[in-house]
Amino acid sequence: MVGLIQEQHPDRCRLFMQWKQMDWPVMVDALNRLEVKAVPITVFVDEHGIVRNIPGRRGDRAEMAAQFAAASFEAPARGEPSIEKPDVAGMNLDELKRAKAEALIIKGDLALLAALNAPDGAALDIAIESFRDALEHHPNPGLTHFQLGVAYRTRFDSAYRHADDFNKAIAHWQKALDLDPNQYIWRRRIEQYGPRLMKPYSFYDWVHEARSDIEVRGETPVQLAVEPSGAEFANPERTFTLDDEPRENPDPEGRIDRDKEGLIRAQVIVVPSAVKAGRAVRVHVLMTPDQSPRVKGHWNNEVDDTVVWVDVPVESGWSVDKPYLTVPRPANTKSAVSMETRQVEFELMVPEGLAPGTHSIPAFALYYVCEDVDGKCLYRRQDLAIHVNVVE
Amino acid sequence: MRISDVLCTSLVAMALGVTTARAEPPVIEVGRPFPAIAFPSIDGGKRMSIADFAGRKVILHIFASW
Repeated sequence: MVGLIQEQHPDRCRLFMQWKQMDWPVMVDALNRLEVKAVPITVFVDEHGIVRNIPGRRGDRAEMAAQFAAASFEAPARGEPSIEKPDVAGMNLDELKRAKAEALIIKGDLALLAALNAPDGAALDIAIESFRDALEHHPNPGLTHFQLGVAYRTRFDSAYRHADDFNKAIAHWQKALDLDPNQYIWRRRIEQYGPRLMKPYSFYDWVHEARSDIEVRGETPVQLAVEPSGAEFANPERTFTLDDEPRENPDPEGRIDRDKEGLIRAQVIVVPSAVKAGRAVRVHVLMTPDQSPRVKGHWNNEVDDTVVWVDVPVESGWSVDKPYLTVPRPANTKSAVSMETRQVEFELMVPEGLAPGTHSIPAFALYYVCEDVDGKCLYRRQDLAIHVNVVE
Repeated sequence: MRISDVLCTSLVAMALGVTTARAEPPVIEVGRPFPAIAFPSIDGGKRMSIADFAGRKVILHIFASW
């Protein structure tokens, strides 16, 4: 038995394999280079590398596997390769363009692998540049858009994150899906970070149970490089659910001083990047203390939690599931200061019949922050612009 | 793996036709060779492909943990 996973974060699959006590060799196809459109798929490959069966969902798989194991298969006739090799000399222009694009994809793939094994900002930049170049040549630009999204998300998950990497990942995955709406693998990548109304199931709700079961066995769970976020744990829902508890705007007159010093950098990512009226989006807000040479700040954990308020007027027709969100101070720390990225997620329902275009929803964050230079600790507000791209 | 190693490895691989720069989309079809694409191993080891299992039958399970 050999596995091949179609997942952005292979270490999560390693945790899954540890939980299920799977000991097969497994390959990682995060870039969807095999261009499969769905999972799971089982393929029987004989000793000569020839595909002999692709069993569907019906039938007794164990019996099929036993029959396959017992069968004997002839080697391919002389002159027919058992493993495919390209015939460059016989390629037409489209095939040459694809080959060139594939070469760039291989370069990007290798660079991503290098970056995963030993974090390297330059390798991630090479990967992104390679996939961007491949876009110009590949006859299936949808696939290359998807791969470029994977590269941007990989850099977002690393210590070399650029501010707009997550946004670009979502945008490229959306372009890929627009080009091939039947690509289940690409669709799932957006749904992973999207609203509950869009989810087919919870993507990573099994992680908690897996860790618990593994620890009961006396083992140490595989450590994840990137913990799943709220969207990745969220369960699907069929109706847009609002927070029952009445909430009030914590700063209705805007009297709290703005963070003009830029001590906290906020990013807003809306998933999906384009939505029809009457549908929902999930908004991710990430806030990180700025450590640029110009300003340096850190969270002050001696006071209250960070708060985000989403200001949706009732008469606007928009709905927000949780207008008031808090990010608790880090648990299990006695440190008065910290530098982590704080993240909140909430969902917006776009009004039915809303005209296409970019619509802005006001929001703001309130937080306690200290300057590194003179040690001043401040209470600041940062206004956030939530831009939702509504399409027909 | 350093950046220079990445570039060198990819150029050598392509020159040898080992890590195949394909001209056609990969096809998984009964009766045809399984696509010759090398993938990273999940444990961070060397790259693998179906060719590594030549001489043995393989039941390949393409899946995701979600």
